[in-house]
Amino acid sequence: MHNPSPLTPYPATVTKIVDETGDVKTFTVEFDDPEVMENFGNKPGQVAQLSVFGEGEATISITSAPTRGKFLEFSVRRVGRLTNVLHQIEVGQKIGVRGPYGNWFPYDKMKGKDLFFIGGGIALAPIRSLIDFALSDQYRKDFGKVEILYGARSYMDLCFKHDLFERWPKCPNTQVYTTLDRPEEGWDGHVGFVPNYVEEVNPSPKNKVAIICGPPIMIKFTLAAMEKLKFNDEQIITTLEMKMKCGIGKCGRCNIGSKYVCVDGPVFNLAQLKQLPPEF
Amino acid sequence: MDSRVVSKAQLPELLDKLARDYILVAPVHEEETVTLFKKVSGANEVQLDYTNSDVSPKGCLFPQTEKTISYTYTGDTLDMKEAAEPPKTALFGVRPCDIKSILALDPVFEGKFLDSYYLDKRKNTVIIGLSCSKVLSTCFCTAFNSGPCDGSGADLMFTELGDKYYVEVNTDKGSSLVEAYSQFFGKQDTEQLAKAKEEQAKKLEGQFTRKVDLEGVKQVLDENFELPYWDKVFKKCLGCGICTFVCPTCHCFDIFDYVTGEVSGDRFRCWDSCMFPDFTLMAGGHNPRPSKKERVRNRFMHKLKYHLDRYNLEGCVGCGRCISKCPVNIDITQIIKDLKEVGQNA
Repeated sequence: MHNPSPLTPYPATVTKIVDETGDVKTFTVEFDDPEVMENFGNKPGQVAQLSVFGEGEATISITSAPTRGKFLEFSVRRVGRLTNVLHQIEVGQKIGVRGPYGNWFPYDKMKGKDLFFIGGGIALAPIRSLIDFALSDQYRKDFGKVEILYGARSYMDLCFKHDLFERWPKCPNTQVYTTLDRPEEGWDGHVGFVPNYVEEVNPSPKNKVAIICGPPIMIKFTLAAMEKLKFNDEQIITTLEMKMKCGIGKCGRCNIGSKYVCVDGPVFNLAQLKQLPPEF
Repeated sequence: MDSRVVSKAQLPELLDKLARDYILVAPVHEEETVTLFKKVSGANEVQLDYTNSDVSPKGCLFPQTEKTISYTYTGDTLDMKEAAEPPKTALFGVRPCDIKSILALDPVFEGKFLDSYYLDKRKNTVIIGLSCSKVLSTCFCTAFNSGPCDGSGADLMFTELGDKYYVEVNTDKGSSLVEAYSQFFGKQDTEQLAKAKEEQAKKLEGQFTRKVDLEGVKQVLDENFELPYWDKVFKKCLGCGICTFVCPTCHCFDIFDYVTGEVSGDRFRCWDSCMFPDFTLMAGGHNPRPSKKERVRNRFMHKLKYHLDRYNLEGCVGCGRCISKCPVNIDITQIIKDLKEVGQNA
């Protein structure tokens, strides 16, 4: 009896495609064998490898919470070779999925606390799994207030508009703050960069966890803002992106020091990040 | 530990028999000056007049290029075929440094996600080591608590002594092979031969010209990620990647698809190198190791620190290949010495 092959993907079918922005699409994917989904066991914050046969694989965060249903959602920005190909596929096409890989947001330790999500651009995708998990009927009682602060360059660049403006604001004890980098005709909401908006909203660090994901420059200034607001390093959680091939800690390229982001990450709190060499 | 004797005159016949019953992988010469491990059909192809092969035998367990799946996708149906279970293999003539490198690779491919490609081959391969009879100027295995006659990790360890091979039987796998070919494995004089082997080992250990002392090196690296030293070392590196290609403990790989027909293709994994700029380059353009400085540092940190941190095993085995093959004479033993000095001056 030989071991099951860890690099063989499960066959799956794309059942829905949503155009989020000019260069971001969200793919809903269902496994061809329903039993695979039963045993997949993805937790909020984990990633998977998507295959387009003949083209290769890319590591994409699972943007749906396991509480949403028997499917996976992947929000993909068209940015490289494989994602270009992904953007050309149509509903009904078969792709490969393997995973789930990596650690997850430590939601057990967040129980009883308020959650403050901060995202910029496409980077709402990796934390959306935890937002939906915390807002689900099953787990809503485990968490306090849920706040989501999200920004993008323009209205067109906002991902998950349905979630931001329809679904999430209707959830109990939940508040959504949306901002655009620049003023725009027809936009009467907040204008300004995410880090400044965080300071304006002025969240108290008391019994709160901040979950941050965004482009490096946004993270840098947001962390400075969080420090001003007296959040400590254990209260700040983020998720990293690295080039990955195997997803299972063997191919060697996603290391930061002795840690592999694909198995030891992608989720780290700021205290853990500060222990790592600044090579990410 | 059990031990046996094989007469030198009978080795070709034993190898022929092994080649018949197993896939026999052994050292061969290519283009006269290159020695590497290949599948052979009999003893006549095996070349034992080498000190260390140019390319390590790791490819027997972790091939340079390896198919992971074959697929056909017609648009309606998707089929994937995985690799068949690997055949029984005898890996013959492995030097102590390379045996040790296999032990260093094992935990990489074990762990939470079992790497069937490597582990199935590992399970089906019997490793027959061969003690060194010479020491190269680039050898420094003694720095890693090993030595030219160290058979730990091999299933069987052969040591050439006059007209005989002294054979240490280290594992059940080795023992089964001895039993199956018992006509070749005598029991006479093993005690004297064991002593002769010890003497041989001592004699060879005295011939090492590189004295490498690792004491304190890991500590320097534990305490310092940024060192002015790294601004110097990388300058002559060409980024050619030969060090990673010949390294017996390097395990980085890439995965890519190869289209074979309109509806079919294969997926492969193949050796990759952390010395290449696009190894860590992300689709969006960000590269966490953008220059040779970071890449060279990462390679030596991996060998001297990260592997130890992760698996509690040395990431270098002192085979010396990266030293002898580097076109610009980057020398890991010099780097070890320099880092030690950096630590002492800190």
